[in-house]
Amino acid sequence: MKELTIAATSLRRTLRERSSIFFLVLFPMLMILVLGVAFGGSFSPRVGVVTPHTPLAERLADSLHAAPGIAVVAVAEGSTAIASVEHGDLEAAVILPADLNTPLRYVVRPGIQGQQISSIVTAVLDREEARLRAAAFVAAENGLSLPEAQSRVDAIAPQFPPAPVDVTYAGPEPARHGRFDAMASSELLLFMFLVAMTNSVALIESRRLGVMRRMLATPTSTGTIIRGEGLARLSVSLLQAVIIMVGSALLFQVRWGDPVAAALLVAAFAVVASGFGLLLGTIARTSEVAIGAGLLLSLGMAALGGAMMPLDLFSSTMRKVAHLTPHAWAADGFSELARHNAGIADIATELAVLWTAGFAVFGVAAWLLRRRLARQAA
Amino acid sequence: MSCHDLRRNYGKLVAVNGVSFDIRPAETYGLLGPNGAGKTTVISIIAGVLQADAGQVTVAGRPITPRAIGAKAAIGYVPQELALYPDLTGRENLRFFAKLYGLRSSETKRRVDEVLGIIGLSERAGQLVSTYSGGMKRRLNIAAGLLHRPNLLILDEPTVGVDPQSRNAILGNIETLAREGMAVLYTTHYMEEAQRLCDRVGVLDEGKLIAEGTVRELTAMVGEQDRVRLTVAAEPQELARRLNASDLGHSAAVDGNEITLLVKDAPTALPAILDLAGQTVRSVIVEEPDLEAVFLHLTGKSLRD
Repeated sequence: MKELTIAATSLRRTLRERSSIFFLVLFPMLMILVLGVAFGGSFSPRVGVVTPHTPLAERLADSLHAAPGIAVVAVAEGSTAIASVEHGDLEAAVILPADLNTPLRYVVRPGIQGQQISSIVTAVLDREEARLRAAAFVAAENGLSLPEAQSRVDAIAPQFPPAPVDVTYAGPEPARHGRFDAMASSELLLFMFLVAMTNSVALIESRRLGVMRRMLATPTSTGTIIRGEGLARLSVSLLQAVIIMVGSALLFQVRWGDPVAAALLVAAFAVVASGFGLLLGTIARTSEVAIGAGLLLSLGMAALGGAMMPLDLFSSTMRKVAHLTPHAWAADGFSELARHNAGIADIATELAVLWTAGFAVFGVAAWLLRRRLARQAA
Repeated sequence: MSCHDLRRNYGKLVAVNGVSFDIRPAETYGLLGPNGAGKTTVISIIAGVLQADAGQVTVAGRPITPRAIGAKAAIGYVPQELALYPDLTGRENLRFFAKLYGLRSSETKRRVDEVLGIIGLSERAGQLVSTYSGGMKRRLNIAAGLLHRPNLLILDEPTVGVDPQSRNAILGNIETLAREGMAVLYTTHYMEEAQRLCDRVGVLDEGKLIAEGTVRELTAMVGEQDRVRLTVAAEPQELARRLNASDLGHSAAVDGNEITLLVKDAPTALPAILDLAGQTVRSVIVEEPDLEAVFLHLTGKSLRD
């Protein structure tokens, strides 16, 4: 199999580059680690709380401490709390009132996060207000003092639990994912495509050195040479996939879902990526052009296709546009495999689109390379 | 190898125009011509890399075209450029081409070792080609065309840019291969190489083969004569006039104290010339006719044009 000889030689040349170890192994793992730590898992905004020394304020402060979704930080002075929010040291601040006649002061920077924190704080205050109203009613009806009434209200409160709410996640469900899962599949798509594109330089070098022309003088058909070069791009892309999938599973406990379905999905995306790599290596005249265009296309398609930011955060229009890239289809497939324990049948559409696109791109690239080889021979 | 009436155009440019010649086993055939004469196009057609517009090539009895994959096993092609991977070792490069020539694994190892021995690179075989000198790369370039023991070895300017020592080694290798029965098609700009190596020479100009034969036949064909150069102590003009007036030679020309004279047979005529010149002669140089002169005579151009 001369195709294997051509592909193995190309792979050997790629791996012999010292920078390959960095770009194939270290860099992707580092990216998964850094992005996973930075953006993976849950995040609790820090809320500064200024608490006057009164029973009411201390009661409210305790309730805020117990509230889910925020991390309460005690702050001595109101002015300090406001300055901390301005400087970004705190996401929000609550200056609690000493008594019921003084308004609560909520300090927050504009934006969605401020509204989210406000909802949590308001919910806590609403609950405390309801407790106080109930205590005031009990005191009035039974001639009790307010502290006594509050004690009675607190005693019977467990008999009236909050109305049950069932939450169903329609989008990403962070609780069921590891910190690195989403990042790993994004980086997988980004780097598989990137390495296939930048590896097109090897094809250009073969042409530039005259090795490809010399290959044509051996008893080797043009079709064999093209298949060998395509296999070379494919093997590099698949090697990158194996490194990222096995490495992230071992180092960061990333779950990739059904292994057979994941393998088929990776293989399909590798065919698309290596097809584009073969196309770039055929069209580009110099290595410099190939590297520049390869980086631009890889990063551009990754950004557009949801390999840098989850597709769930895209608008519906942008989601449609994203599906012009193979990245979006592959990202959908990985999302199904990881979130819903999907199998091959569940990602049949994604597989069909990717395999079809892969063969189409490969076909066009092979046709252009055959023409290029014929011109080069002349 | 036999090629008959080869033709190839690039648009309106006629690159090869009816070229025909044969090379017998163990014969070294030199194809001479200036840049743009069509040498590389002819070689590419014979190597099966390029399709001719018309004409036929056969090697070892089998027709050669780009699609005649099996027949190419009879040809070893050594291109002018160093068509090697610099980031592989010499041995890895040879293994790669051995596989493409269809050698089996056991045969590959043995033949790679043999060829490395022939070109004298056994000790450096495990080092990256990028660390080789220009001469070593040229030798390895040739070795890649020898792996499958071809019937015909095509060498396109194989000594360009190498030092005299490496050039001598390369020429020695080619002489040995020819003695062992391999037919060699050789192109070069260097006349001394063609004169040393080639049993026959074809002169190519503007896509046409304008002359063919042994070096002796070609020089005789154009009537080229020996050149005698005399350096004299005094009165070169007077001596040149007397030489032209004699029947010893003709076309005596003066350049400073040097006289150049064309004579039919220098060894026979030289004693009489020296007798005529007398005591004034300080040095004598005799130049036999060469291919450079033949080419100049046939085309009005230098081979390096």
